[in-house]
Amino acid sequence: MTARLLEFIGLAFRQLFRRKVRVILTVTGIAIGVAALVGTVAVGDGIRTQAVEAIRTQSDLTLIEALPGTSGEIVTLVSATKASAAGTLPGVRASAPVERSTLATRGQTYVQVVGLPAGARDDVLLTRFQKGRGFAAGSDEVVLGASLGQKLQRFEGVRIGDPLILVRRTYDASGRPVDREIRVVPVGIMEERGDEYDQFLLMDLPLALSLDAANDGYSGVLIRTDGPDAVFPVAGGVRALGLSPRGSFEQIEAVNRMMDMVVIFLGIFAGLSLLVGGLMIASTMITSVYERTREIGIAMAVGASEGDVMEMILAECAVLGCIGGICGDLLGLAFAGVLNTLGGPFLASRFGDAFAGLFDTEIALVTWPLLAGGLVLAVALSLVAGLYPAWKASRLNPVEAIRAGR
Amino acid sequence: MTPPMVEARGLARSYPGDVEALRGVDITVQPGEFVTIVGRSGSGKSTLLNILGGLDAPTGGTVAIRGEILDYSDRRALIAHRRKTVGFVFQQFNLVSSLTARENVEYPLLFSYRPVTERRKIARDLLRMVGLLERESHYPAQLSGGEQQRVAIARALVSDAPLILADEPTGNLDSATSGEIFSLLQRLNRERGVTLVVVTHERELASYADRRIEMRDGRVVA
Repeated sequence: MTARLLEFIGLAFRQLFRRKVRVILTVTGIAIGVAALVGTVAVGDGIRTQAVEAIRTQSDLTLIEALPGTSGEIVTLVSATKASAAGTLPGVRASAPVERSTLATRGQTYVQVVGLPAGARDDVLLTRFQKGRGFAAGSDEVVLGASLGQKLQRFEGVRIGDPLILVRRTYDASGRPVDREIRVVPVGIMEERGDEYDQFLLMDLPLALSLDAANDGYSGVLIRTDGPDAVFPVAGGVRALGLSPRGSFEQIEAVNRMMDMVVIFLGIFAGLSLLVGGLMIASTMITSVYERTREIGIAMAVGASEGDVMEMILAECAVLGCIGGICGDLLGLAFAGVLNTLGGPFLASRFGDAFAGLFDTEIALVTWPLLAGGLVLAVALSLVAGLYPAWKASRLNPVEAIRAGR
Repeated sequence: MTPPMVEARGLARSYPGDVEALRGVDITVQPGEFVTIVGRSGSGKSTLLNILGGLDAPTGGTVAIRGEILDYSDRRALIAHRRKTVGFVFQQFNLVSSLTARENVEYPLLFSYRPVTERRKIARDLLRMVGLLERESHYPAQLSGGEQQRVAIARALVSDAPLILADEPTGNLDSATSGEIFSLLQRLNRERGVTLVVVTHERELASYADRRIEMRDGRVVA
């Protein structure tokens, strides 16, 4: 059976060779469709990969914060139970409940405060210090983010080991401000992280909780995942708990959503050109069946069944699709090559320093699965396009077919 | 007693518009017989041949091949009949132009799932028999009319079919070549015992056959 199919394919090559110009035009049609599709997806994947890689390197991807969740009018608070449940999700390496607050210095510098247990601080935030050390449990010690530490040192003369007075302002029933002073001691400045924690002041959780008497659970739970692959499953688990996950992964989700839209949108146009290629195959094969009516009649007269005739015609379609798919893949590769060689420098020169990172990056990413997909799609489309001509050929009356060719 | 190779009874074939190509044809052809069917154009000769070969179906009557009634409503049976029982030779030769002489001869075996090596050997043997082995790699366009018809005859024999149906096999050939083709058919009939039913309008060629059937207006008249 396979040997005979190979023979049919061999015959198909010879049949197609007889109609070179028509075949070249048809194959070009399919190839352009496949190349458009491969190019679109390659550019989409390339930009997506670049963006995701940039997010990975510029942010702390494996850090997630679970915040109170809202579903309609129902708010799910971060209770101790929820915090504990979030910490036991699969893929979580470490977790810690956190309490956030906003205070100000006497010099009117606003300070974002994050309280978290001293024992979990380094496991969850992976803190490293450029100066000093971390705060001790049950103490009034605090740690400053890199930017905040620099700012307070420069403008307010804050030094490691010296007490720092922070002011918490609330308002009484008549609307008048009530300030409460809290004395803390900065004991360390963190290394620069490249995220929001560079602006934060960290303290022990009980101290942060004591700032607000009317606590309604925690502000959130900080979660450190096992690795980048665990981020999305853990985020899903957090959502399942009724909480709202937040972190750098949201940027990746946003990029994926945007690129999906872009690829689908461009893919529709590429798909249309592929559809045109399919219609060209159908047209070519209908013409071919018409021209070869006598030959088909002869084949039937010497013993070909309807199935044999269909196989022969479909083998030609498959060969057309295969050649078109390979040419399309090669065109797509060439397009990606040109884009990767010239596109980066062009964008960098056109849009300036902001796009300098594109200079030597791959804008279009062509993968083996993408090429295989292009080829399979081309062959499948060709077979579908050939169904009608093949069926038409198989229904010919042998006597009329032989007579028609005279 | 050996049943007849072909036994047609009351064969009728009409077409829309009250065209009656056959009007109750009865013929019997014995195994190993060489029969010619003669008659004017439109007498129903080709229609009869097409029906005997399973390419067309009668609107009345029956055809029995070696004693078994051919069921024209059974597509599989008709395909098997064309593959195993009959070989066709056409007036226009009807070779596939993209195939060489040898490939044309082995073409019917492609549909019988025969291995390539076996097909090639059978085809070469047959080409040797019809005197065209040295031209096995030539395409139909590179062969003369007589050579093309000899290739077509080899193709008709390739399935080892016991019945060869030839429709005006010399209609496109000059008289000398026509004589050669009929001689070849006669030799095949005598040496291989193949049953031959040959339609021709050239009465002088009918002398090569054992028997002559004459048709007129869709009926057998002699």
